[in-house]
Amino acid sequence: MEGTLNDASSSAIELAATQQRPMLEIAGLRKRFGTVEVLRDVSLAVSPGEVVVVIGPSGSGKTTLLRCTNLLEEYERGTIMIDGEPIGYRIDGRSGRRSRMSEREIARARERIGMVFQSFNLFPHMNVLQNIVAAPIRVKRIERRQAEARARELLAMVGLSDKAAEHPIRLSGGQQQRVAIARALAMDPKIMLFDEITSALDPELVGEVLAAMQQLASDGMTMVVVTHEMSFARDIADRIVFMDGGVIVEEGKPDQLLFAPQTERVRAFLRRYNDRYRI
Amino acid sequence: MPFDPHFIARLIPALLEGAAVTVELAALTMAICLVWGLLVALAQELRGPLGWIAGGYIQLVRNTPLLIQLYLVYFGFSMAGFGLSGFASGLLALCAQNGGYVAEIYRGGLQSVSVRQFEAGRALGMRRWTLYTTVILPQVVARVIPPLTNQSISIIKDTSQVAAIAVMEIMKITEVWVETSANTYDVFLGAALIYLALTSIAGLVGKLTERRLAFAQ
Amino acid sequence: MKEFGPLIHSLWYLLRGAGMTVLMATSAALPATILGVLLSLLHVFGGRLLRSAILGYLFLIRGIPLLVLLTFVYYLMPLTGIDLPPFWGVVVVISLYYAAFISEVFRAGILSLPQAQWDAARSLGMTRGLLLQIVILPQALRLAAPPYVSLCVSLVKATSLVSIVGLWELTMASREVVERTLAPFQIFIGAAVIYFCICYTLALYGRHLERRVLLGH
Repeated sequence: MEGTLNDASSSAIELAATQQRPMLEIAGLRKRFGTVEVLRDVSLAVSPGEVVVVIGPSGSGKTTLLRCTNLLEEYERGTIMIDGEPIGYRIDGRSGRRSRMSEREIARARERIGMVFQSFNLFPHMNVLQNIVAAPIRVKRIERRQAEARARELLAMVGLSDKAAEHPIRLSGGQQQRVAIARALAMDPKIMLFDEITSALDPELVGEVLAAMQQLASDGMTMVVVTHEMSFARDIADRIVFMDGGVIVEEGKPDQLLFAPQTERVRAFLRRYNDRYRI
Repeated sequence: MPFDPHFIARLIPALLEGAAVTVELAALTMAICLVWGLLVALAQELRGPLGWIAGGYIQLVRNTPLLIQLYLVYFGFSMAGFGLSGFASGLLALCAQNGGYVAEIYRGGLQSVSVRQFEAGRALGMRRWTLYTTVILPQVVARVIPPLTNQSISIIKDTSQVAAIAVMEIMKITEVWVETSANTYDVFLGAALIYLALTSIAGLVGKLTERRLAFAQ
Repeated sequence: MKEFGPLIHSLWYLLRGAGMTVLMATSAALPATILGVLLSLLHVFGGRLLRSAILGYLFLIRGIPLLVLLTFVYYLMPLTGIDLPPFWGVVVVISLYYAAFISEVFRAGILSLPQAQWDAARSLGMTRGLLLQIVILPQALRLAAPPYVSLCVSLVKATSLVSIVGLWELTMASREVVERTLAPFQIFIGAAVIYFCICYTLALYGRHLERRVLLGH
């Protein structure tokens, strides 16, 4: 969807900006696990450089949404586009029928998406550097020296330059997650997905990971973050999306959604949250 | 594969007689090992020389072939003066070897019950006896059933080796019949089927026991 | 009973038998391992038909004693006209037998890896072949190594069974010596010690691997 700049009026420029091709476009996603509908007709568009935080009670489908995006989960209906290119399923222009892409095509598409998981992210039998360069070397066929140089850059960025030769088991949870971020970045993705990456961490280790994510956001990475950390959500998000029962209930700017939500479900959720923590 | 019904008719009772001996041997071995293995496992927990002997015994029987143990008991003892029958020798050797394995199974089961369970029980003010009988032992029993089932299957298969000391169980009878008739296939097929039946039954019994005990908790 | 003279005299003969045992065990272990790893992959990733076939194969191996299979092949060989030296005949049987157990051990290793390892590898754009090669299999092999070594010990002990079908290795050698010297106790103890040396060394290596696995994961 290319916008056209007709004249230099500010509204036209604004219009053009919002009509810039979305980095991530999820349309009409539907998924069931057995008899349970985990995702019902979910649509979401994320602009380049935007940081979208997804919140909601457990079981709302937030993690499933993320996993469907890079086809770690199958879904029955809907399409997903990364920077205009489909991943997972194609719609045939003429017949409108959905066809699954080949495993090879899906693997290629996944290179454009970086994902960090809640736990057991790193490969324990490789050291930190090997973890980071494994995919660039074997998947993208990048030369080892080049890949290692880039890996060290990324390690510096997350503040772990001195850990390149360590094995994951010797690192704290926070350090491991930062390495996981570096590893995902090594593939040069266009968008990064974060699935509750601080939920399994001891509280004192959470800060360093959030700092790394904050850095990424300021560098202009497009990000979709599923998290429980409300104050972090408020700090980092351009937009917050609230999911419950497999649908997007409400979305909006952080201050608006967190402090003046429109729907009762969001209010109830935040009330429960506020009772325990103060945002 | 000549399918001679007359032959089959004579073969089946003979194999079944052998099966009876197999079952008797295996069942006795299992029963004895359940107790003997427990004693050895407990002995291993003790610090002193008894613990060492128990540990050494387990390593000894696990790292020597059953067949050698059979020959040792059967021929060795008869030379020493107190000759044991084939069946008795087989039973002794089978119990000696499997006692070691069962002891290891018990030890694994006990170790796998997490220390937290002990701590939780003691924190609730339980005395040692209550703690063991109501919290620890049921969990150990549950964890120990699957490997014990596997061990019983292993025992059934091991009984085939006592054919080497002329005990008339399935394997020996198979041997005799194959030597004296031309229907090699039928005899082996029959033996294989009986062993499969026996091991499958043992497996089923194990699964049912597992389920029964899970309910009891 | 304390006259170990006969044993000392025949020690060299027994050691040659041990050499044959090791040769036989190694010759069987190599193909068994290759086949076992292959089977485990087919079992995990194969289609329904393939998996059913493998399950059937595992059922048979699990339920039928190795001795029955060895004896079967021994009687069968001359009938089929395949001109295979007896050594290779038994090696094939032992390989096929242990391949089943090895495959289950590796399969357990593969399945015990957390889903996140697969997810992480896939999300980095790795195809299944690549992620198996550099993420899953290296870890699965490390996890499976200790129980695999146990199976190797079992395999070494199993070679003793070939003496029952007339092949020469340590057990057969000791039987020959006993027949000559009529000193079963000493000779079989000697054989047991030799087996122990081989198997216990392997077992110690297995325990070393186990400790390394526990630390590394």
